[in-house]
Amino acid sequence: MIASPARRALVVACAVLALVVAVFVSILVGPAGLTPRGVLLDMADQLPYVRVESGLTPRQQAILWKIRMPRIVLGALVGAMLALAGAAYQGVFRNPLADPYLLGVSSGAGLGATLAIVFGAAAGFAGVPVAAFVGGLLAVGATYTLGRTVGGVRSEVVVILAGVAVAAFANAAQTFFMQLHDDTLRQVYSWMLGRLATDGWTEVLVVLPYVVATAAVIVAHRRTLDVMAVGDVEAASLGIDPARVRLLLVCVATLGTAAVVAAGGLIGFVGIVVPHAVRLLVGHGHRLLLPLSLIAGAAFLVVADVAARTLMAPAELPIGVVTAAVGAPFFLLVLRRSRGVS
Amino acid sequence: MTAVVCERVSAERGGVEVLHDIDLVVAAGAWVSLVGPNGSGKTTLLHAVAGLISARGGIRVAGVEPGRASRRAVARAVALMPQRPVVPEGVTVRELVRLGRTPHIPRFGSETLRDREIVDGVLARLELEDFAARPATELSGGELQRVVLARALAQQPRVLLLDEPTSALDIGHQQQVLELVDAMRREGELTVIAAMHDLTSAAQYGDRLVLLDRGRIAADGPQAEVLTVRRIAEVYGARVEVLDRRDGRAVLPLRGGRGSAADSSGAISVEHDGAGNPGADGTESR
Amino acid sequence: MPLTVRGRTAGRRGAARRPIAAATGALLLLIAACGSDPAPSGADNDAAGQPGAIVSLSPTATEMLFAIGAGDQVVAVDDRSDYPEQAPVTDLSGYTPNVEAVLGYDPDLVVTNADTGDLVAGLRRAGVETLILPAARTLDDTYAQLEQLGAATGHLAEAAALVAAVRTEIDTIVADLPDRDAPLRYYHELDNTYYTVTDDTYLGEIYAMLGLRSIATGGDGYPQLSAEFVLDQNPDVIFLADGQCCGVTPEAVAARAGWGELAAVREGRVFTLDEDIASRWGPRVVDLVREVARLVNPVPAVRPTS
Repeated sequence: MIASPARRALVVACAVLALVVAVFVSILVGPAGLTPRGVLLDMADQLPYVRVESGLTPRQQAILWKIRMPRIVLGALVGAMLALAGAAYQGVFRNPLADPYLLGVSSGAGLGATLAIVFGAAAGFAGVPVAAFVGGLLAVGATYTLGRTVGGVRSEVVVILAGVAVAAFANAAQTFFMQLHDDTLRQVYSWMLGRLATDGWTEVLVVLPYVVATAAVIVAHRRTLDVMAVGDVEAASLGIDPARVRLLLVCVATLGTAAVVAAGGLIGFVGIVVPHAVRLLVGHGHRLLLPLSLIAGAAFLVVADVAARTLMAPAELPIGVVTAAVGAPFFLLVLRRSRGVS
Repeated sequence: MTAVVCERVSAERGGVEVLHDIDLVVAAGAWVSLVGPNGSGKTTLLHAVAGLISARGGIRVAGVEPGRASRRAVARAVALMPQRPVVPEGVTVRELVRLGRTPHIPRFGSETLRDREIVDGVLARLELEDFAARPATELSGGELQRVVLARALAQQPRVLLLDEPTSALDIGHQQQVLELVDAMRREGELTVIAAMHDLTSAAQYGDRLVLLDRGRIAADGPQAEVLTVRRIAEVYGARVEVLDRRDGRAVLPLRGGRGSAADSSGAISVEHDGAGNPGADGTESR
Repeated sequence: MPLTVRGRTAGRRGAARRPIAAATGALLLLIAACGSDPAPSGADNDAAGQPGAIVSLSPTATEMLFAIGAGDQVVAVDDRSDYPEQAPVTDLSGYTPNVEAVLGYDPDLVVTNADTGDLVAGLRRAGVETLILPAARTLDDTYAQLEQLGAATGHLAEAAALVAAVRTEIDTIVADLPDRDAPLRYYHELDNTYYTVTDDTYLGEIYAMLGLRSIATGGDGYPQLSAEFVLDQNPDVIFLADGQCCGVTPEAVAARAGWGELAAVREGRVFTLDEDIASRWGPRVVDLVREVARLVNPVPAVRPTS
């Protein structure tokens, strides 16, 4: 509903500013007391042709560049991806309650991670993200196949229901394996509740291409998503192929979601809460909704991570707990509002 | 110059054959009213012409073949006004109408000044400028139909398909919408195929009627040919009285076994006898 | 109609039976309850004196039993009891004990470290005693548990001797330690999500005896740290107790992003401990003390400033 390009640019600028502030706050928070001055100087020192004495010890620098920064960037990428995927899912399924985990990617990833933890413990933990990724993709593949074979006129609903079925099955299998090897319970739960654990920049570098590629495809379809809002029949008469668009965006969004789930575990509510909040502020048009969801999602998760790191310092709250604590009340609010309207 | 050609078109829905061997040729600039009972295949035929469902046989619309050409090309040639339009949340009238430009804007591109001008023009033409910023969910039935018509016109189609455009409207709004469409047709060389269940309106606007019965064309021609008491009784199973008036035939439902020889307005009643039963071969009688 | 009458009659007879059955059952339960001792304090049992069929569901208890010479009275141990080698390992689970499975070995004494899944009540109903030896909080608990087992199995003398021997050896090891101005600071890693121990735990007490202090404090004794915290605290020594469960080695620790800056990593003071010994509180605590002493002895008293 924001018509003028000038106002649109202003809104986006504000969002970017919020993200920058969030990132900076996050950089300064942590058990190692890094001063803002030291951090700024050290960041300046990283620029080419600039040599500045930041006053940080090598250990503090290691903390800043190998522990905090990768974690913050990962948080931003994960938050951005989940929010964008949520907006995309809500657009293609015309369902405001759709989130990136709708088609079973979270349950599949959880099952994959559990199997990796239970059976691959001796091989170390490298296998968990890969298994989670594969599990997530397989689950969505199963959902789509199931939905297509059942088919029917209201295919969007059928696919969603198939997703519910696949998720239920994966959850049951996961619980079974967890019970079988109950000594791994804590590790599995720790993974499931979400944790931005980074080993240097590895996770960031692995996740980055998925997020960039996925975001590019989804944002390119912003007008198409606006057209999808009028339903399959009318959208087809306006010149798009709704089934193909749905398939493409689901695949792409799932790929990105699976990648970030593999890196950060199951962080919930970002995909629902952020797009809705953005809609409340700037309306339903995807031209603004998609980029803003990206930015707001990143900021949201960075802030949530700050809370996760500080509320129980030096231990960490699983970040999924923080997003749920914020997200669940918000979700109920949205639910009430939408029930009231319809 | 033909706008729509259907050759032996058949189509299924859910595994059931709904259209059988439809042959139809529509000249450019014509208004064809598509009539027939519920389930006779009117919507299916419109969807087939619009390329929304796959159909067997040959279809050409404004030179484009819906089965073969890209959806965008088809959408530039033919626009569909649905019976019950979907009203998305949080969308203004202008944004809804703007969607009509979709087939003209490159897939990942953005709209140009010309697109905006066309949208503005259409909004002005349909007197929707005051509504432009209003959320679509706040519109009444009549206003919404005008908006959807505006969207269809923004597509700049050669052929406009209307799927029971007035079923949700009161008589005043019915007239308004149909007059608008007819005006646009006469101005812009638009060809109109309108599926209608109100036979009288169908006759008022369509100089040619196509009557569908269970997926086949039962009659195709001018009103005098199609709207006869006997044919309507055959196809619809309804008892009616048909009046010939200045601006077209009127089809009025008859109740019970009673009939009137003539009504007070002086309209000539065709095809009835004193008992309201159909005449032998549809000849005039007084 | 005859069918219905019969059915009704049968029902009535059945209905009359039910209260009687319930009363009998209750009576039996009452007798059973009065007849057996409350398990936790159970030291002496049946008239025979020594229990001849002991089932151990706790790896630590297994070690203790064999160490005090009650090994040949043990008929079955749980699936995690891997020491000593001659212990009769079965697939009984100590985590999720199954009463029927335990009873299948016809025990007259069951030793475990927690009453999970109503184990005690279930065993009591079958007339079997349970001895619960929970995880020790201090070294004295270890000694007390050894003596308890000695009394329960009729090996009181051996138990007392073992306790004395362990005491003496630990005292000797501690006495041989060099003096330090300041205690060394350590990080004991329990798993690869940075769970650790504080000074307020069994391990913490042992480390403290050896002149070590944990970098972690607070929590319930087993807090979870973050990588950043460990880096900031810069412990002098790192003990890894997650080599077997999670595949963590000193090389893996050195490879963690940023950990290369730690003094402990740079000077090669990252040590792997035997996970079993470090997690149990049995007689092999001596080996733990000895091992840790051996590892920290060479560490210089004065730390270079980092």
